Amino acid sequence: MPKHPLQFLEVPRRNPDKESPEERVLHYGEIYGAYDGASAAAQAGRCLACGNPYCEWQCPVHNYIPNWLALIEEGKLFEAAELSHQTNSLPEICGRVCPQDRLCEGACTLEEANGAVTIGSIERYITDEAVRQGWRPDMSNIEDTGKTVAIVGAGPAGLAAADVLARNGIHAVVYDAYPEIGGLLTYGIPPFKLEKSVVRTRRALLEGMGVKFVLNTRIGRDKSFTELVDEFDAVFLGMGTYAYVKGGFPGEDLPGVHDALPYLVGNAYRELGHDEAAAPYIDMAGMRVVVLGGGDTGMDCNRTAVRQGAASVTCAYRRDEENMPGSRREVANSREEGVRFLFNRQPLEILGDEKVKGVRLVETRMGAPGPDGRRRPEPIEGSEEILEADAVIIAFGFRPNPPGWLSEHAIEALPSGKLRVAALGPYPFQTTNPKVFAGGDMVRGSDLVVTAVHEGREAAKGIARFLKV
Amino acid sequence: MTEQVAKSLLDPELHRDSCGFGLIANLDDLPSHWVVETAISALARLTHRGAVAADGKTGDGCGLLIKFPETFLRAVGMQLGFSLNQRFAAGTVFLSRDEAAAAAAREALEKAVADTGLDVAGWREVPTDPSACGEQALKTLPRIEQLFVNAPDGMPRGRFNRKLFLARRRAENRFSDADTYVASLSSVTISYKGMIMPAALPQFYPDLRDPRMESSVCVFHQRFSTNTLPQWRLAQPFRFLAHNGEINTIQGNRNWAVARARNFISDKLDDISDLDPIISLTGSDSSSLDNMLEVMRAGGMDVIQAMRLLIPPAWQTVDNIDPDVRAFYEFYDCQLEPWDGPAGIVLTDGRYAACCLDRNGLRPARYIITRDRHLTVASEVGVYDYDEKDVIRKGRLGPGEMLAVDLVNGELLDNDEIHDRLKTRAPYKKWLKRGIRYLDSLLVDTRMAAEPMEPDTLATYQKMFNLTREEIAEVIAVLARTEVEPVGSMGDDTPMAVLSQKVRSPFDYFRQQFAQVTNPPIDSLRERIVMSLQTNIGREYNLFEIGPRHAEQVIINSPVLSQAKLRQLLGPDMFEDSHTFIDLNVDENLSLPAALDQICAAAEKGVRDGNLILMLSDRYLEKGKLPVHALLATGAVHHHLVRKGLRCDANIVVETGVARDAHQIACLIGYGATTVYPYLVYQSLHDVTRRGNIDRQQQLGRNYRRGIRKGLFKIMSKMGISSISSYRGAQLFEIVGLDDEIVERCFRGTPSRIRGATFEDLLEDQKKLAAAAWEPRESIEQGGLYKYVHGGEYHCYNPDVVTTLQSAVRTGDYAQYRNYARLVNERPVATLRDLLALKAAGPPVPLDEVESVESILPRFDSAGMSLGALSPEAHEALAIAMNRIGARSNSGEGGEDASRHGSERRSKIKQVASGRFGVTAEYLVNAEVIQIKIAQGAKPGEGGQLPGHKVNDMIAKLRYAKPGVGLISPPPHHDIYSIEDLAQLIFDLKQVNPQALVSVKLVAEPGVGTVAAGVVKAYADLITISGYDGGTGASPLSSVKYAGSPWELGLSETHQVLRSQNMRHQVRLQTDGGLKTGLDVVKAAMLGAESFGFGTAPMVALGCKYLRICHLNNCATGVATQNNVLRSEYFIGLPEMVINFFRFVAEEVREIMASLGVRTFAELVGRTDLLERQPGQTARQARLDLSPILSDNGLAASVPQFCTEPHNAPFDKGELAERMVRETLPAIESKSGGRFEFRVQNFNRSIGARLSGEIARRHGNHGMADAPLDIVLHGNAGQSFGAWNVSGLNLLLRGDANDYVGKGMTGGRIVIYPPDNAGYVARDTAIIGNTCLYGATGGQLFAAGRAGERFAVRNSGATAIIEGAGDHCCEYMTDGVVVVLGSTGVNFGAGMTGGFAYVLDIDRDFVDRYNHELIDIHRITPESMEAHLHHLRSLITAHVEATGSAWGEAILDDYRTFLQKFWVVKPKAAELGSLIESLRRAA
Repeated sequence: MPKHPLQFLEVPRRNPDKESPEERVLHYGEIYGAYDGASAAAQAGRCLACGNPYCEWQCPVHNYIPNWLALIEEGKLFEAAELSHQTNSLPEICGRVCPQDRLCEGACTLEEANGAVTIGSIERYITDEAVRQGWRPDMSNIEDTGKTVAIVGAGPAGLAAADVLARNGIHAVVYDAYPEIGGLLTYGIPPFKLEKSVVRTRRALLEGMGVKFVLNTRIGRDKSFTELVDEFDAVFLGMGTYAYVKGGFPGEDLPGVHDALPYLVGNAYRELGHDEAAAPYIDMAGMRVVVLGGGDTGMDCNRTAVRQGAASVTCAYRRDEENMPGSRREVANSREEGVRFLFNRQPLEILGDEKVKGVRLVETRMGAPGPDGRRRPEPIEGSEEILEADAVIIAFGFRPNPPGWLSEHAIEALPSGKLRVAALGPYPFQTTNPKVFAGGDMVRGSDLVVTAVHEGREAAKGIARFLKV
Repeated sequence: MTEQVAKSLLDPELHRDSCGFGLIANLDDLPSHWVVETAISALARLTHRGAVAADGKTGDGCGLLIKFPETFLRAVGMQLGFSLNQRFAAGTVFLSRDEAAAAAAREALEKAVADTGLDVAGWREVPTDPSACGEQALKTLPRIEQLFVNAPDGMPRGRFNRKLFLARRRAENRFSDADTYVASLSSVTISYKGMIMPAALPQFYPDLRDPRMESSVCVFHQRFSTNTLPQWRLAQPFRFLAHNGEINTIQGNRNWAVARARNFISDKLDDISDLDPIISLTGSDSSSLDNMLEVMRAGGMDVIQAMRLLIPPAWQTVDNIDPDVRAFYEFYDCQLEPWDGPAGIVLTDGRYAACCLDRNGLRPARYIITRDRHLTVASEVGVYDYDEKDVIRKGRLGPGEMLAVDLVNGELLDNDEIHDRLKTRAPYKKWLKRGIRYLDSLLVDTRMAAEPMEPDTLATYQKMFNLTREEIAEVIAVLARTEVEPVGSMGDDTPMAVLSQKVRSPFDYFRQQFAQVTNPPIDSLRERIVMSLQTNIGREYNLFEIGPRHAEQVIINSPVLSQAKLRQLLGPDMFEDSHTFIDLNVDENLSLPAALDQICAAAEKGVRDGNLILMLSDRYLEKGKLPVHALLATGAVHHHLVRKGLRCDANIVVETGVARDAHQIACLIGYGATTVYPYLVYQSLHDVTRRGNIDRQQQLGRNYRRGIRKGLFKIMSKMGISSISSYRGAQLFEIVGLDDEIVERCFRGTPSRIRGATFEDLLEDQKKLAAAAWEPRESIEQGGLYKYVHGGEYHCYNPDVVTTLQSAVRTGDYAQYRNYARLVNERPVATLRDLLALKAAGPPVPLDEVESVESILPRFDSAGMSLGALSPEAHEALAIAMNRIGARSNSGEGGEDASRHGSERRSKIKQVASGRFGVTAEYLVNAEVIQIKIAQGAKPGEGGQLPGHKVNDMIAKLRYAKPGVGLISPPPHHDIYSIEDLAQLIFDLKQVNPQALVSVKLVAEPGVGTVAAGVVKAYADLITISGYDGGTGASPLSSVKYAGSPWELGLSETHQVLRSQNMRHQVRLQTDGGLKTGLDVVKAAMLGAESFGFGTAPMVALGCKYLRICHLNNCATGVATQNNVLRSEYFIGLPEMVINFFRFVAEEVREIMASLGVRTFAELVGRTDLLERQPGQTARQARLDLSPILSDNGLAASVPQFCTEPHNAPFDKGELAERMVRETLPAIESKSGGRFEFRVQNFNRSIGARLSGEIARRHGNHGMADAPLDIVLHGNAGQSFGAWNVSGLNLLLRGDANDYVGKGMTGGRIVIYPPDNAGYVARDTAIIGNTCLYGATGGQLFAAGRAGERFAVRNSGATAIIEGAGDHCCEYMTDGVVVVLGSTGVNFGAGMTGGFAYVLDIDRDFVDRYNHELIDIHRITPESMEAHLHHLRSLITAHVEATGSAWGEAILDDYRTFLQKFWVVKPKAAELGSLIESLRRAA
């Protein structure tokens, strides 16, 4: 029961202060400030504690949102952190990178009233502040089971699995090809959304729980999968999706046309001071940049390009703004930072001879819904236009790219490349090899961080049951 | 019982009755034929309190119990050639029409008589005239004979009668046919009764016309049964008494009587051990009470004392009771629990004639004494025509009072005189002082658990006992913080426990029973004074040989123990050496029946070893063992000990982790626990403080117990029970979903109709919990029972359902509605109907041949939701939508602005609920349907609540209340304490608005069908049966979760009962409760509904998101709030959304009909043959036996399935009222006023209401104020005199009036005064009855005499002057002025939040009589309170002018002296100076 039933009217929705666009584009740091205890409590107190917690319902991991909001209102920070971790392994990260406006905050009862509760910011505040004050996951009850599990991929799915396994007294060893943990959290998502210190803090927490990381190690190259299967009681695969979706139009191979991920990884390598040979830096300084795609990755590219000093950044998307998959918050941030959006524009061709000169687009209108329930764009004849560009970044998403050694271990994939796992049954996320489980983008295709977290957690619970602990 | 009956919901055991009753006695025991004659005519004048069958001749039974008319009987006996001794007896016996059976019965009775050493003198066939009987009565007319028995010479009368008692009881055990019934067999009384109308009694029994039939005492009774299956034997009086009311605790009383049989030992009484059981366990509650009285009397206790013990007054909580009287009751309370419930009892045993009332005065009893020394007591005053000058005393019995005639000494004994006799019979006070010990409590007690559990251990316990974080936060912590039960909104949308796929507590299978219609709930908030939780622990001894050891008891003020009290109880000074610890944790490999065997054996051994306390405990968990659920164990042990005759030698103390909320504790007590120690609550609270979530300094344990106490009061009061000792073992629950083996073993006698989970299922549940409990990695569960949680319990209004529905109605897209309907219709099994699939009646028909959407829509109503609960925007949008589609919206309980009358925004259904907010004549005449809300699904037995912050200026104006002050409606309608009261209210409403249909809203529970049958006989036109899953307003969580049954059961039961009693065609049947889709509608129709109520769904259509925060006024969708910002900025609802919803539902109905091959909706109603049982999704779902729901009771298909009558017209045509209309109508129409005179008698009811309706229809409530009609009346007015009175109607009555004078009055004036020649003192005499001015909103009442109980209850504007009042005066008053020129009863001003009163306190004891919670009192000093001084004087002056009151004149005469004895009584919140100012403003 909220203490002040009308707090949501009296206290307006307020996220932590955001740095001005003019200043923030000058660096890669996070653009949002943090709450102090009082403002977090005041914002949390806006929650109505609905009988139907729509936030929790929409949340892929079903965080007990109203409950930890209540704890924050009461100042019970550590209890909130405990509760928050009961359903989510990476709450401070989800608090930063989740498209809350499409999930919890979008579903919040107050969204239709005077603004949703700032769930994301509070979620982030809880763990950030609790850790700062010395909170650590409570492992006192955990009995060591002596079981061991190898996790391939230190992305959100793998980290979530490691967290749950550790809490079940199972030793998790996480392998990753990159020099730092996090996968796309570190290398895909730019630091202005997720500062890398956050991932490092999470690494410390996980290591404190007994999780081991073996980095710079690509399974199948530096260590064979057979070894893993032999050495460990079970294996979890959380290697994500790294194949880029192509547009399938002419000119995609022209110099100056970049796929989003190498572009973002290159930028991350430079920021982290890694050896750039592994991921070269792609510089947009002074260029007219066109970003194709309307997802969060597209927004990341937009804003990275702005920070690199692009002369202009234009984002073209084939549906209307309403039907964009990306977070509205990121669209807004992009706009503030000077990105121009062109909606209902479908690219037909990238023009240029030696290098990119422009993009030929056609205007679209929204047609009938397709099989996925989303309305399909239909080109309007005679509405073609040409957009001049010095560089084009293609952010159409990713496809699974399962490594070849899977089939050698009787791990089947679907024709789409997604791994085949048990949907129901006693051991969810078990692959066709009983000892091997998988989750995250490898299984469902590229999706949100939080869904990967969810699958990693569920798979880990399946593994624990499989190992009879 | 045939198989057919066994598998339906008809239960012949379920019948309820009440009635008119009375007695006439000559104080000097002089017999006369006049007494008999007058009693019969008086009975005939109470005909309106009984029920009349369609044939106009068959009544539900009436009768006389007459003091032995020896002369007459001797004469008729001699005529037959009997040789009659000096002392002889005669008894009336009903025999079978079958001669062989009759002969066998005669023989059995003769043998039993002979065996006791008495002589049979002969049998007399009683002359009867069957032509007096109606058709139904004739069908079952027995052979009626009288048996004459001679006493051996010299046998004293007492011994003779005890032998007759034994002979009769023994014979009764031997009768082999069901028809034989000994109506009486005694030398002191004889009974004449039958299934006939009172007026026909002397025709049917010529004996009664015989002038030789002379008697000094005649007790009479007229029955109103909810059952029409004619049963001659159920007519009253019984052998000693006639009872108007209902014993709510009957099951417990019967069980305890059986358990206690060994303690009924008396040298006067021969061995009664062969009377097994000692009282009848079947038949009516009243007949069991009569049996009990008979046993106690046979044991040597006089009938006065026995009756006082069985139905004691509220001695525990009344401040000013004589300590010796208190000791008398307290002493016997240690031995005997009260028989609790509304009761007006008249009785005679030949030695005494007496009348008594229950502690709450829930039935009326008025008396007069005439110069010729006859006492007449009856439900009403004016039951025969006497001359007022011959009346020397007139009065009424107050709550818990008794009035008796000592026929031997020719004395009239009033209440005090009876107490004076009783209290001096033994040194009760001395014995108690020596014997009673109390448990001490600390002044400040912040301790919770002396040995707190480690967090890990605690988690194990919490998991083992299924305690979730939700329950800790939402239930336990709230109780501990606020001392009250948590409140929630929107009802319960989760599956019943047996349908759930989660592990649910066994307590969840139990639904609390509640009072509706046939008896009232008690108001545990405002009338706490009658309630008690006092719990005794000690041994019971022989009731007939009392002594000091009977008083050796430990008394606890509440059955919920703290740790300190448990320790004391088990400590060295108390029961350290006389208690047995019984571990409920048993080997995990034992089956539950085996485990219960083990526990029961240990209990039995404990008792046989002489231990007084059996401590059932699950406190010590162990791996490898499983706890047996404490409720199963308690019930099993209780019944085991009852069977072994050991129950009264032990007290069951339950130390358990399973009981946390009030319901759970009530279950344990209801199945026999004496006290409960909920250790896991204390441990969990300790943990909560350890985490710092609640301030450590608070006395959480104590607060928690206070909260639980209030909860227990509420649960008891819901069933009309006032003391926990009567509640204990009374098993007042319905079980939904437990197998018969469990019920038989642990909860025997509790209604359980559809079987379900078995012992194995429950064991499986416990094993699941145990597995998690011992797994340290598993944290305790989040919960999900109260609010939706992912992975938790299924909720029917989960976010998917709500959002899909909203998107469908906003877009108007039927395809989206289909998505919604699919989500609902294909959900996991959540309701009983989900286990029933449809069967086609024939090949599908084309959709366009099916009845149209438009013709289906009028079958839909919106459920009653008040303006106040809803915002005006939402309320009006709903009304507009319903009106546009030709359906009806329901105003709810909150009045309606006059500007809406006649417009599209009006609610066609106007609700009348217990708060009577804004219920005026104008409101009522603007209704098409008037709905009496007896109960609502989410919280049957409780009133509505509107928190103060929702009462803004507009709401306050409509409800005649004060802005900002919360409004709680009383749990009962104070004018409906029984079925005949309901009939009266229906009559009132039909008088004020003859065009309207009257609807009665009931809630499903076992017996609701029987109640509904009674409601039809009370002339309702429509009945709504609500399910537990309805309900939208604020309500305590434990009510939401644990009261009310599924409508599938209630609706089907009602439909079956009405059909089998050939009444279904008389009434339109509706159901509501969680209806969401066309499929729901079709299934409800097949179960018997022809009309459908929707509450939540249309609200969701209007934007409600099911937030369950309606009680907080912060509804963010603007639906359920009065906050201006939320209403104006966030409410998005439009009538079109509601219209879309209903059209979609109707369209879905059509599609289903087409697929079933049905063209018209009427063909669906009652067609249970089109429903097919599905196996369900779990084993226990599969085990449910739904065949009773689907039964047609073997009735022919031609028996009507739905209503065919346009309305249900009352038997009473209200002829006087019609004549009054004929004579005054021109004056009303021309608004010319005038003066008219009429004579009035007690059966002229609701006089004035008919005129008020005509006036309001033409001129509104106040339009005729300046051209009033003066109606002058003489005589005794019937009930509801001046009901709904409006401005322009002045009623002047010379005589007196019965109950409900000025009910719902809004204007005009009622003046009542005694005739000049009256032989009594007016100011000492009752002139009006109970519950006058209930819900009045204006007008004036002057009555020169005393008023009954609850005068001016819920008054919100009337001005009244009376000369004395009963208990609970000015209860719930919110406005108006009341002047009482004399003494008042107790509990004055309970719940009074507005208006004020002047009370003349001659005896200076008013301080002890007013309720101190909300009001304060002030003297009127001439210096500072000039305005009050003048105001009071002007009121008294007006009173004297209107009534000629001698007492008023005397006061005015010496005003300054009297002034010092007046109190001004006002709400604490009101400023003294502002009272009169606010009157002026209002004027």
